[in-house]
Order: sequence, then structure tokens, then C-alpha cells
Amino acid sequence: MKKPANRYEWMIALRFLLRGRGQTLLIVLGVAVGVAVQFFLSALISGLQVSLIDNTIGSAPHLLVLPADRLPAGAAGVLDDAARRDSGRVLIDELTEIQSWQTYVDDLRRDRRVLRAAPVANGQGFIERGGAVIAVTVKGLVAPDGLDIYRIRAKTVAGAPELASDTALLGQRIAERLTLAVGDKFVLRNDRGGRLVLRVGAVFDLGAAAGNDLLAVPMDQVRSFFAIGGVSAVEAQVRDVFAAEDIARGFGRQYARVKLESWQERNRQLLTGLRSQSTSSVTIQFFVIVSISLAIASVLGIAAVQKQRQLGILKAMGTTDRSASRIFVIQGLLLGGVGSLLGLGLGLLMGWGFVAGTGAAFGLEVSARTLLTPIVLALAAAVIASTIPARKAAALSPIEVIRNG
Amino acid sequence: MADAVLRTRALSKTYFGKVDTPVLHDVSIEIARGGFTALIGPSGSGKSTLLNCLGLLDPPTAGEIEFDGRTIRERNVNELAAFRNGNVGFIFQFHYLLPEFSALENVLLPCWIGGGRPAAERRREALRIMERIGVGAFRDKAVYELSGGQQQRVAIARALVNRPKVIFADEPTGNLDRESGQAVLGLMAELNRESNITLVMVTHDREVALQADHIYELVDGRICRYFDVGRSGREAAAREIEERSCTIKQ
Ligand SMILES: Nc1ncnc2c1ncn2[C@@H]1O[C@H](COP(=O)(O)OP(=O)(O)OP(=O)(O)O)[C@@H](O)[C@H]1O
Ligand SMILES: [Mg+2]
Repeated sequence: MKKPANRYEWMIALRFLLRGRGQTLLIVLGVAVGVAVQFFLSALISGLQVSLIDNTIGSAPHLLVLPADRLPAGAAGVLDDAARRDSGRVLIDELTEIQSWQTYVDDLRRDRRVLRAAPVANGQGFIERGGAVIAVTVKGLVAPDGLDIYRIRAKTVAGAPELASDTALLGQRIAERLTLAVGDKFVLRNDRGGRLVLRVGAVFDLGAAAGNDLLAVPMDQVRSFFAIGGVSAVEAQVRDVFAAEDIARGFGRQYARVKLESWQERNRQLLTGLRSQSTSSVTIQFFVIVSISLAIASVLGIAAVQKQRQLGILKAMGTTDRSASRIFVIQGLLLGGVGSLLGLGLGLLMGWGFVAGTGAAFGLEVSARTLLTPIVLALAAAVIASTIPARKAAALSPIEVIRNG
Repeated sequence: MADAVLRTRALSKTYFGKVDTPVLHDVSIEIARGGFTALIGPSGSGKSTLLNCLGLLDPPTAGEIEFDGRTIRERNVNELAAFRNGNVGFIFQFHYLLPEFSALENVLLPCWIGGGRPAAERRREALRIMERIGVGAFRDKAVYELSGGQQQRVAIARALVNRPKVIFADEPTGNLDRESGQAVLGLMAELNRESNITLVMVTHDREVALQADHIYELVDGRICRYFDVGRSGREAAAREIEERSCTIKQ
């Protein structure tokens, strides 16, 4: 049998659509609005989520190795005397501080999913200046990973972001409240009455994040000032932030004496919020797709009846049932395709108008995913919607049409 | 008949429904290659049904059809459609032109469906036929802008474009006034004479039937009479048809 020439199917599909111009235009517009809404909503919600996540963990560790704060499960009472003697030192060591932190840093850095890892020593201190006393979180960091986890180097607004002895890197909020500028000196006190004179080396601005209450000093200085034998934690950032929980769980299984915590575990509420946002956007997408399908199915269903005469004579002249049904699938594809492209334009315009009009603090997330998903969904909906009229067209018997005029 | 392009053997057709309607009974006929065969008979006698069976548009319930030496056993509708595309042309009472396409595009449709020949050559052939038939000037017109006679001529051009072996026409002038009907019939007779295309036409009109080379008369789904007009002569056939109505002896 000859190879079917299906170029003519496209031609007929196109002419069928152009003949019912008003009807076609309405459906194309309907698809366009649906695609635009889908694109706009998902780009908006993704943009919002990206910015929320960035605010939360952009300048914070994604996972932490923390002291166990408890005996390893089943250790007490189960271990015999010998074992107790062997592991005794270790158990005590890792209870509130991490002694063998270098091992954890090395292990984390060796993992390809991990971007950077560094130890950190934390302390609570006070700064007294003029009449005011304010409490600050003192972070003892090591360069460069420690600085980069908190994005201090990138967000420095004044001075040089370098860790050096007796030099403090200051969050913008503290600097403002105490009217400290680069080069100024101040006194940091700990709760045991210790005093440390520090010079402001740089001021950084981490935006809205809590990081602006930070005071960063070289780690070794924090360890000695707050009398920390080991370190407070080992912190890391990973390439794919959503993988942090899995990675943490993996390492957690390897290490018995410390606990691992991911940003997800520390931000359950945020995650629940994000998830319900995503769910509602998927729900909206679903209903948009359903309405697009219904619109296309109904218009093509009507067309399959309206075009009976044409289909009848086409079949008499040699159009196969497969071709007849393809003519309708192609019509669906054309409606879905043209509508999607138009919708994308419309959606981009809406997005641009939204960002320009509201001065939103976050951008639309225009990615391959947010662009292509509505198109692919609309095309799939169009093809599925056209199957019923396509089947009707295939089943039509030319003799019926010709006998009944 | 020495050279028949179409032969049927004991063809029967029953429409099955709430009540089964037997329409054709044991029809065995031959259609001479290159000739003009008319099918006549009273309304409801099964002329259209027979024509559609011969044109492989409607499958018979029983019996056999031999088309150009080939027994049609094919029951697959798609295979039959492909066969029709290259071998038969249809002209109906209604023109069935597609309003979505221009006159020329309508003529080209059977070529598009069949594929194969290069576009330029097909176009040239289509235009040549349209010129011959006298609708060349309307090539780019929308079909609904044409008169009934012009529309039917475009339909004839469409039936001819794939150079079919047989053209089936079912009362092709039934929707036309007398004058344009005559013109269309004259044209079809001419085309039949000048080319080798076989013409099978259902008609109510005795005058028209008498222009044919062969006439089959159907009554109640059976062949009642056959006239070989070439042999018996036109006058004799005319007299016979006029004077005696045909009844089938049971
Ligand atoms: N689909 C069908 N179902 C049942 N009966 C049918 C069907 N199609 C046709 N018939 C019957 O078959 C018989 C022959 O019909 P057909 O159209 O072949 O007659 P005809 O000779 O062409 O008549 P006319 O000259 O009026 O066109 C009629 O009695 C008609 O009622
Ligand atoms: Mg009839």
C-alpha cells in the first residue's frame, strides 16, 4: 500500500478551523488565557518560593553536624565494662561539643553533593556601648567556607571581609544600633565577665535575614573566649537544597556519636507552607487543563458533526479512517499549539505588568519548567480532547452521508 | 461481453436494521470497458444501492464483484478507500464540494489524498481538465460562489483528475435546471467518447438513458431488462422501454 500523504490532513484541518473563524478564535483565546494563567501563577509561586527559600537558607547552613546532646541509643547499661571504658571518652567528648570535627568536615567535603563545609564555634555575648547593652550571637568562623556559608563576603557593604584576630565582621543591624563603623573599636563581654576588645573590620547586610544580628570573629578566638574545647557544630551547604534532608540522613546513619540536622527539619512550617502553595497551584493547573480540554472537545465535537458531508466525500474519494481521525487530532494540536504560544506571550506580559506594577520584592521564575509545563499540558489536553471527535470522524460511514445528502 | 471492466455475480444487498430490508437480489451484470452504461428503473428499485456497491462504497451482503479482472475480496475499509482513490470517480446529485477550498483545490483533493505525483504536474493536469470542462476561469473562486451547473462541472473535474477507470454518476443532473442539466450530460457523453473512461450513470430520464450504449433496468432489486443499444439500435430500445413496462416473472 502507498505511504499515506498526510500533508493534506494538515491542510484540511487548518481549513476546517479557518472556516469557522469566530469559533476557532474563541477557543484559541480560551486556551491562551488558560495557558497564561497557568504560566503566570506557577512562575509567580515559584518565584515566591525561590525567594522565600533563599531568604531562609541562602545565607545559612543547609545541614549541620551537631553534638548528640544524649548518649547514643542503647549505649548506657548495655555496654559492658570494657566497652564502657573504650567508648567512655568519646561519649563524653561528643555530648555537648564536637571534638573530632576535622573528620566530619573532611567527610562532608569529599561528598560531591556538598558545596562547602566548615566548623563553627558559637557563643552568646554582650556589647556595651554608650548606655546600651545588647546581646549578640557570636560566630566563630573559618575562611573561606565559613564566611561563604553566611554569604558574608558577597554581602559586605563596608570594609574588607577578612577574618583576623581581634577583628569583627558585623551585621548591619548591630552596626546601626550601636553606631559602629569600620575601624571603630568596641568591647565584647561573655557571661563569665571576660572582655575582648574588637575592631570593626567590615559591615555586611544579609537583607531581611536574621543574619544581620551576627557578629563574626575567627573561630579560634571564639573558642578560647567562650572556653569551647572542640567546636559547636560543623555546617555545610549542598548543591541541591532539597536534597539536604536525604544527605543529612545518609551521614546520620554513618555517625553514631553526633546528630545531623537539615534545614528542612528546622523549617518544617515553612516547608508545609510551600507544599500547600504548590498543591494549590497544581490544583489550579488541573482545573485549567480540564476546562481547556472540555472547550476543545466540545468545539471539535460540534465540528465532527458539522463536517460530516466533507468527511463523507473525502472518504468516498479515498481518505482512510485513520486520516479522518488524524484530521481532528491535528485540529486539536493546532488549537492547543497556537493557543499556548499566544498564552505564553500573554502570560509574560501579565508577569511583566505584575512585577512593574506592584514592585514585588521577588521576581517571576521564568524557567524551562514554568514555560514548558503549561504548553505541554495544553497540547496533551488538546490531543486527548480531540480523541472523541477523532473517533467519531473515523467511524463515519461515507455511504450514510451520501445516501442522506 | 468481451471486455468488461466490471462484473458482478449474484450480487445481493440487504440492509439490516429493526426490520431487514433486502434491496438487491442476485444481480449479475457486466459493464463494458470504455462504454456508457445507464441504470434505470422506478424509484426505490435499488439503482443507487447497486451503483454504490459497484463503486466499492457499500459492501454487498452476498455475491462477487470483479473490478478490472480483479475479484474484490477486500473488506478492510482503508484498503478499499485507497483502491477507490486510484480507480473510481464519483459524481452525485449533490456536488459535495468542500466549501473550505477553492474550485481548483477541490479538483486537486483526490490527488492530495493519493499522494505520489509531483505537485506541479498534478496542478497542470487539474487545470487542463478544468479548462476542458469549461470551469478554468473559476479556479480560484470559492465553490459557493459558483452556479449549480458550474459546481457540478467542478465535481466532474474532481472525479476525473486521478484518471479513474470508471466514473459512477448518480443522477448527476438531478439538482440542475433543464438547460444546465443538458449541458452537463452532453459534456459527460463527450468525455466518455473522447477518453477511455467507463461511465456508469443512474438516471430517471429516458432521453438520457437512450444516449447510453448499454441500459440495465432494475425492478424491485432485480435486473429486469438489458438493452444493448449499439446492437438493437436506439429506436428499438426506445420503443421497447416506452411501450412495455417491465415486470419480473416469479
Ligand atoms: N440504509 C438503509 N436501510 C434500509 N433500507 C434502505 C437503506 N438505504 C436504502 N434502503 C432501501 O433500499 C431501497 C432502494 O434504495 P435506492 O436508494 O437504491 O433506490 P433508488 O432506485 O436509487 O431510488 P431513487 O430513484 O428514488 O433514488 C429503497 O426501498 C430504500 O428504502
Ligand atoms: Mg437513487
